[in-house]
Amino acid sequence: MKPKNYLILCVSVCLLVSLTILFVPGVSETIETRLLTFLSTNAR
Amino acid sequence: MKILKIALQVTGILLLIPAVAMATLRFDNRSADGPSILFPGGELVSGDLYTGPEPDWSFTDDIFTIELQLDDPLSSRLIFILESEGKIYVISGYMSSALGRLWKHWAVQADEGDGLAVLRIGETRYPRQLLRINEGAVLDGVAAKMLSKYQGATPTPQSIAATRRGIEAGNSWVFELAARGG
Repeated sequence: MKPKNYLILCVSVCLLVSLTILFVPGVSETIETRLLTFLSTNAR
Repeated sequence: MKILKIALQVTGILLLIPAVAMATLRFDNRSADGPSILFPGGELVSGDLYTGPEPDWSFTDDIFTIELQLDDPLSSRLIFILESEGKIYVISGYMSSALGRLWKHWAVQADEGDGLAVLRIGETRYPRQLLRINEGAVLDGVAAKMLSKYQGATPTPQSIAATRRGIEAGNSWVFELAARGG
């Protein structure tokens, strides 16, 4: 993939991820719950 | 060479997604009136400010988490609360690992700063001061409550002693939520 197209893909992914977390109900809670489980397991 | 380039690009995207997700969650919650499950919130604004005599804190036995806000820096998080012998305590675990100290950085800030804090339980805010308890018999009561309330275990002298050793070794940091100026 050419650098220009790759950058466009990166920006698109950033926007998609951010907007999904901000505006799709339940997504942020799910991510936080899984992250909490990860940290509880690995931060010992 | 082409395969390496593709692999690097895919790796970049795979790293970008969680990084953006974490940044978004943190940004989204940074100035909220209270924390989310994991990410700190802003100043606790809503709720009545408690000004009466020292409450009977035993009611906190029925409360799983409270919202705790430090005055400096002004941020809040969800945290366990433990009542023992009429006093209340919060505990920050995982303090012996770098990941844990990064996760629980508020405890470092509370220990190094003035410890001024506000806790919110339900619709009431209580101005308090965090005082770290490093050692002493008071930790036996804290350890017993920790075991019974959050680990579902019946405290035994051995389990209490082991939990206390963990606290005194710095694996978990215990703070008393004392009355300000008290």
